[in-house]
Amino acid sequence: MKAAILLPSLAGRDAVGNDALAMARLLRARGIETRLYCEHASGVDERTWPAAELPDFAGGPRDLVIYHFSVGWPIALDVLRRVRGYRVVRYHNITPPEFFAGTSRVYEAACARGRAEIPDVARLGCELYLGASAYNTAELVAAGVPAERGAVLAPFHRVEHLLDAEADLRLLDELGDGARNLLMVGRIAPNKGHVELVDAFAAYVDGYGDPARLLIVGKTDPGLASYTEAIRARIAQHRLGERVWWLDSVDEAQLKAAFLASHAFVTLSRHEGFCVPLVEAMALGTPIVAHGSSAIPETVGDGGLVWDTTDPWLYAASLARLHADAPLRNDLRDAARRRYERTFAPAVMRERFFDLLEPAL
Amino acid sequence: MHRATLDQIRILVSSNPNDDYLARIKAEIRAEADAARERAPLPRLDPPPRAAVTVDDGIDRERLDYSLGELCGHDYIAFIDHAFRALLKRAPDDTGSALQIRLLAAGAPKAEVLGNLRWSPEGRRVGARVRGLLPRYALAKLARVPVAGYLLQWGLALAGLPLLLRHQRASDTLHAARFNAVADERREHARRLDELQARQDAFNAVHGEMRNELTRLAQRLDTLEQRAKALEHHAGALQQRSDATTHELADLRHYVHTANHWVASLQRSLDELETAEAAESARADELLAALAEPDTDARAARHAAWSAALAAALPPAARVLDLGSGDGRWLAALRAHGLDAHGVEVNRVLVERARAQARPVALGEPLAALERCAEASLDALTLAATLADDALGTANLLHAARRALKPDGVLLLRAEATPCAAAGTEPPHWRALLAAAGFAAPSETAAPHAGAVLARRGAD
Repeated sequence: MKAAILLPSLAGRDAVGNDALAMARLLRARGIETRLYCEHASGVDERTWPAAELPDFAGGPRDLVIYHFSVGWPIALDVLRRVRGYRVVRYHNITPPEFFAGTSRVYEAACARGRAEIPDVARLGCELYLGASAYNTAELVAAGVPAERGAVLAPFHRVEHLLDAEADLRLLDELGDGARNLLMVGRIAPNKGHVELVDAFAAYVDGYGDPARLLIVGKTDPGLASYTEAIRARIAQHRLGERVWWLDSVDEAQLKAAFLASHAFVTLSRHEGFCVPLVEAMALGTPIVAHGSSAIPETVGDGGLVWDTTDPWLYAASLARLHADAPLRNDLRDAARRRYERTFAPAVMRERFFDLLEPAL
Repeated sequence: MHRATLDQIRILVSSNPNDDYLARIKAEIRAEADAARERAPLPRLDPPPRAAVTVDDGIDRERLDYSLGELCGHDYIAFIDHAFRALLKRAPDDTGSALQIRLLAAGAPKAEVLGNLRWSPEGRRVGARVRGLLPRYALAKLARVPVAGYLLQWGLALAGLPLLLRHQRASDTLHAARFNAVADERREHARRLDELQARQDAFNAVHGEMRNELTRLAQRLDTLEQRAKALEHHAGALQQRSDATTHELADLRHYVHTANHWVASLQRSLDELETAEAAESARADELLAALAEPDTDARAARHAAWSAALAAALPPAARVLDLGSGDGRWLAALRAHGLDAHGVEVNRVLVERARAQARPVALGEPLAALERCAEASLDALTLAATLADDALGTANLLHAARRALKPDGVLLLRAEATPCAAAGTEPPHWRALLAAAGFAAPSETAAPHAGAVLARRGAD
């Protein structure tokens, strides 16, 4: 038996890349010869093969192919039609194109192409459709995947590496100056709700007068420059200039320092297929306040305060309550840690991964 | 199976036990949010100012002037990275980096890559100046014009052929130098590898010792576990014994309770028997009292004669005990002669009748009263003949009488005229019994008051 992991591009530090690399490692550890197939790779010490060659390697009836579906990529559909083994579609979700309307035609078109491919992928009749969340799997089922072929497995992550990593002491010192640090981690994209986050931060500063700062950790994308400018404009409108810190391209040590020094992880994201930073916050003990859109409620569970609106005052009051109510803070930390250990710990996920793949193994 | 998993996850999310607690907290937060919305904004407190550069990403954002040679001094990925940081003031993104590398791989000059970045919309916003870049970028772009571009490249190549040859020779030297440097590095790496190997060997040795220690600890642990199991086994046996003893104690307690019940029942039966016997005895006493000889002149005369005979045989105020005193009439006769006479009667009715007339009659068994008397303490002993109703009883009585009487004491047997007088109480019969018991010279009272026999205690 051979296994192939198929994805359009492999990057070492994004959620899809981490998930694909972790699956390859697990399958190899089980003694299964596994290869990664993609169009291009960067930031990984892993040999990859062109997607078109996949059927030659793992096209047999006893082979396993796992396709990581996160953007439109017709080549993958063609490859999946050509293989005869056990086919798994790993669905990470695709941001609805309307989020990019007016910001980037390129992204809007790419997302539209990707979402238009969902019914085609559903019609492939693959043996297993593995959503990163129940929200994702429900989208596939709505597109025509038989419910009995749908399953849920959270994406493999690098949280354990983050737990083991040394925090950046300089950043820790800098942030540990007595101000309330509120953290948001995620790429700078219109679906992530940064503008609403700035509104909530302004409400907190005005409503409670605490010396506070907002840490925005995430890569800015030149292709989404107008969205970045919109965030900056909103910051300027609220006169929050020096209170908002942009941390672009942070390494693991800096990310850990940001989590450790923050009093809360806040996200008003409007669309997430899973949201790995929430799991990082759970593992590192940073209390969570989140907007319960898309897959966020099921990722957070009882490990944080989740709201169904983006009312900025609600988030401001939540942050003030978290600051004043130590038992609540501790309860949320404990619940989050429990949730991490029981649901997202690597050993738990590894066992579930192999349980789900049992028919193919 | 998968649908079940989905449902389980949804249930897990929706049926959290903390829901009530979080719902209460969230209701309080909602109320606070509504109140905060209505409040006037508070004065803002600034956090401490930020240090000059928080994250050292190696980008000098203040510098906007570069030379072409400075940017072209790197190759491949380092060249792309340097170009992004200098011209766009950021690290290269994956897509942009891959695109520029593909250009280089396709044979594009570095000036074209630099120009693409510098005059991109982002690069224009940054506005970095690269001295000498514009003409080279223009030439690179002209070279892409079909036919003309090709000819232009030909011309430039011919014109620059001597320079190219010089570059080629310089490149050969550079590569040779780099080859030497790489060889030096390889040697250095080999040396470090040897060091690492040595360290690994040392580590393996320590690791081996630790494994041995772990093995020993595991063995000790096994031993301890075995002992713990043995102790558990003993504890189990003790527990069984304790349980058995507890059961036995329970049985024993049951038996004791049963025996107590039987004893109580027996006691009640005995009490009832004693009560019946006492009632029977009282009825017998009443019957016998009713049958007692009435207080007639004949009786008084008989007693007077008998008491006179006895008093004559005794010293004055002699100590006399009468057994079977009845209503005490006989005692009164004795005391009339100045004798210190006391009596014992078994019939309670007769005793009460005697006490009513101030006659010293005690209630009790005659033989028991006699046996309680000290040896040789009585001057005389008088007995109602009804006490000697059988030979063995009479023999015992006489034996006890001999013990209690002084050496010359006197025994008087009196046969009262009662309807139940025994047949064996005739004086001739008594004489024989008295002689057998060690009494000397029995004599009978004379008529008309015969019926009493006097005998003196013989010598030992």
